[in-house]
Amino acid sequence: MRRSVNRALLAALAAALEACSGGGAEEGPPAARSPATVRAARRAFDGAPPVIPHAPFGMACSSCHGASGVQVEGVGYAPPSPHEATAGLGASARCLQCHVFRETAAVFVASAFEGLRQDLRRGRRLNPLAPPVIPHQTLLRENCAACHTGPAAREEIRCTHPERVRCTQCHVAVQASEEFLR
Amino acid sequence: MNRRTFLRAAGALAGIAAFSCEDRREARRIEGALGGLSHVDLKWGKAPCRYCGTGCGVEVGVHGGKVVAVRGDAASPVNRGLLCVKGYHLPAMLYGKDRLLHPMRRNPDGKGFARISWDEALDLIAARFGETLKAHGPEAVAIYGSGQWTVFDGYAALKWFKGGLRSNQIEANARLCMASAVMGFMTQFQSDEPMGCYEDLEAGDDFVLWGNNMAEMHPVLFSRILERKRTSPGSRIVDIATRHTPTSDHADLYVEIRPGTDLALANGILHLLVSEGRVDEGFVKENVVFRRGIEDLERIGYGAAGAQAERYAFQDAARDSSLDDLKAFLADYAPARASAITGVPEAQIRALADLYGDPKRGTVSLWCMGVNQHVRGTWMNNLITDLHLLTGKISRPGNNPFSLTGQPSACGTVREVGTLANRLPADGVVTSKEHRSKVEAVWGLPEGTIPEKPGHHTVDMFRALARGEIRAMWIQVTNPMVSLPNLSRFERKPGDGRFIVVSDIYPTPTTDIADVILPSAAWVEREGVFGNTERRTQQWDKLVEPPGEAREDALQIIQVAKRMGLGHLFPWPEDAFHEPLFEEYRKLTLGTGKDLASYEDLRRTRGMLWPVVDGKETRYRYAAGHDPYVKKPKGVHFYKAKGYGEKAAVWLRPYHPPAESPDAEYPFWLSTGRVLEHWHTGSMTRRVKELHQAVPAAYVEVNRADALELGIRTGDLVRVETRRGSLELRAQVDGRGKTPKGSLFVAFFDEKRLVNRLTLDAMDSISKEPDYKKCAARVRKA
Ligand code: SF4
Repeated sequence: MRRSVNRALLAALAAALEACSGGGAEEGPPAARSPATVRAARRAFDGAPPVIPHAPFGMACSSCHGASGVQVEGVGYAPPSPHEATAGLGASARCLQCHVFRETAAVFVASAFEGLRQDLRRGRRLNPLAPPVIPHQTLLRENCAACHTGPAAREEIRCTHPERVRCTQCHVAVQASEEFLR
Repeated sequence: MNRRTFLRAAGALAGIAAFSCEDRREARRIEGALGGLSHVDLKWGKAPCRYCGTGCGVEVGVHGGKVVAVRGDAASPVNRGLLCVKGYHLPAMLYGKDRLLHPMRRNPDGKGFARISWDEALDLIAARFGETLKAHGPEAVAIYGSGQWTVFDGYAALKWFKGGLRSNQIEANARLCMASAVMGFMTQFQSDEPMGCYEDLEAGDDFVLWGNNMAEMHPVLFSRILERKRTSPGSRIVDIATRHTPTSDHADLYVEIRPGTDLALANGILHLLVSEGRVDEGFVKENVVFRRGIEDLERIGYGAAGAQAERYAFQDAARDSSLDDLKAFLADYAPARASAITGVPEAQIRALADLYGDPKRGTVSLWCMGVNQHVRGTWMNNLITDLHLLTGKISRPGNNPFSLTGQPSACGTVREVGTLANRLPADGVVTSKEHRSKVEAVWGLPEGTIPEKPGHHTVDMFRALARGEIRAMWIQVTNPMVSLPNLSRFERKPGDGRFIVVSDIYPTPTTDIADVILPSAAWVEREGVFGNTERRTQQWDKLVEPPGEAREDALQIIQVAKRMGLGHLFPWPEDAFHEPLFEEYRKLTLGTGKDLASYEDLRRTRGMLWPVVDGKETRYRYAAGHDPYVKKPKGVHFYKAKGYGEKAAVWLRPYHPPAESPDAEYPFWLSTGRVLEHWHTGSMTRRVKELHQAVPAAYVEVNRADALELGIRTGDLVRVETRRGSLELRAQVDGRGKTPKGSLFVAFFDEKRLVNRLTLDAMDSISKEPDYKKCAARVRKA
């Protein structure tokens, strides 16, 4: 029941917003690829570590992707690491343990794998004034500022109040789909 | 629509309205493809990672009967939520477009395969194994599995072969990777597997890595060490290696040794400990005996030349020794001589002796293939453990010799169930009447069912197959036509009178030589149990259906056994055999000090460390206050070593040179191994786009000075040759691995570039594990 309601409402909304998408084409030309598509192309599924979208520069990742990001001339903005504050895992010590370069565009054998896509229905909140909940795992993403502030933050998830540094005081992570029913 | 549902839907709308135009279109597309799912909508189940022996816990996200995501399991004590790139990409491993979906039989003309039904396939296998058994006896049939067999698969194979067919011709590829560690532990403690656990990585101060590139091979464990270093700046990593790797980048001390000279280095350290009075005499007196074996190089050989090149059956023989004998023996390894053999500066040998000899610092030695795939691998295992026994740094948090495993259940299945030619469950061996009788009793079989004579060890098994003595062989969950050393020896032509069955999930060079191919269920497509490096037994439930007609390996074996009239071995319903099978196996472990947890406990927990007694796991074996079998109030008790008066054995082991060393004709060392992104022979990881794209092909690492001399640059096509074969590869100069002058390194995952055509099939004298790390080669521009 819930699923079908969501689906119907979403479809209606999508239709209403068609005008701004510049027509009904399913896939835009490469130039018009949305930030969400670009993001998805770097991940096997939502939650997988992204592959590295640039060639090796022969220096430590942390020289650009530290606790805060840097603008690299001729390359672009290097976003900060979201794991900078991850405790107890040694998670920031060896970036190449999880993030790999792309040496070729070929595949060994074609794959039928379809991974979980990013849930773009972000910012669930109880009412328009309530703070949105965190829709993703927070482990390895403790540095909220990495993705929600700065030039690399997508417009849709950019924080309007970065000066309030205790994010989880108001935003909580969703752990389950069930609701509490007494 | 109730109120809650309405609010939720409205919330979703509010959210999407905030996204950009393009993203809205993307959202619609996604909504179409996967129903606008988020993480909380998936069904999540627990499982250990499919790949390495670390055994990280993952949570597996399922939707619509497919695995669509994984995440590190924060509740797992192994990895606490972190994975490596292989683990993060597990879901795609299941969905390569060439998954094997149906049983297939080779066409009568030998070319290609045709689909057959399961019944036809199982009937055919039962008939061919039955005929072979009848005509040529139990030595002519064989089953070859791996450390990726679940406990169910391994136990079914063991029971079918040793209890049903009365044949000991069962082996597993762990012989190629862990056998030297098994024999190390067996010769010293008369019980296999380490005493410590991963908590050693937080409790220790110094981590000495003997020839293992942990940053790439056991990444999550290495992260734990790096975290220890970050939070405790006094702790140190010592990397003893023949090649500078990503691990070396993090080492406080990088000790570069000549290949195969680790024996001399360890003896050099022992020399200093003994001569400088740094032996913990009290500990040694109470807990240690001394032994020597056969040390004559001529007598032992290497298993690869002369008469030994067909059958290698050297047997070590032990004699008593003493601390004084050890002192005299070590006179040969004074720092100057040890340094001359190893190429390690005396100062570094002294630094290592200071580190092992400092009673105030916790020392953990870690090793894997460098020590195990070694013509004297058992000896090297012995010497590392000697360092800990002589200094009393053992069975205490942060003080342990800790051997690492490469496969997810090398420990749980091969070593614990005992799926090897000579072994039985829970440290049993077929040569012991007592052990055989115990197993026969639990299996309800008459005494004398299990044969006493061990079958062939792996390399000899394939040599026997090549000779035609083994006529029917079943290969499951492994890819020997990529992973055996000196591969060209084992090439076969279909139609040569042998009958080879291969069960796998994808086509490989091994399915290429099969007569019958069976499609297997992989990982969470079936219920399973793995046992990892730290004695942790981990259970998972089936989470998705296997594709096509794929079936789990254990069930394939059970169904063939039934067709051979051996159904009494597996009296359980085919759709619910897991728990009763496990509980039967568990009976063989209870009371042995290797007691496994109950199936119920395994279901409930993120794995438990054996021995599990009264529902409690054991973090430190042999340690008072930890191990329930130790009755002493403090200290250690090596209660399994009945043959040594319940003490551990320090072995005196000399240095012997490698089987083949560089010479004028072949002036380079050639070593082989893995890269972080690919696991084992790559049959799974190469089907994952991100992993294949990161390392699409094997390459050869060439030292910069050598490259300059030979006019070779990164990316050049070069030809690498040994006495056994030749291979074209791209050169890599100063990549992630940097080889010292005069040595080459090639990864073995690439089935199109088979470095195992070049390797030498020389073996460890005791474990019969091949040495893939050292042979002589030459290289030139192609
Ligand atoms: S491959 Fe090994 S280290 Fe990587 S996630 Fe799997 S178990 Fe963990």
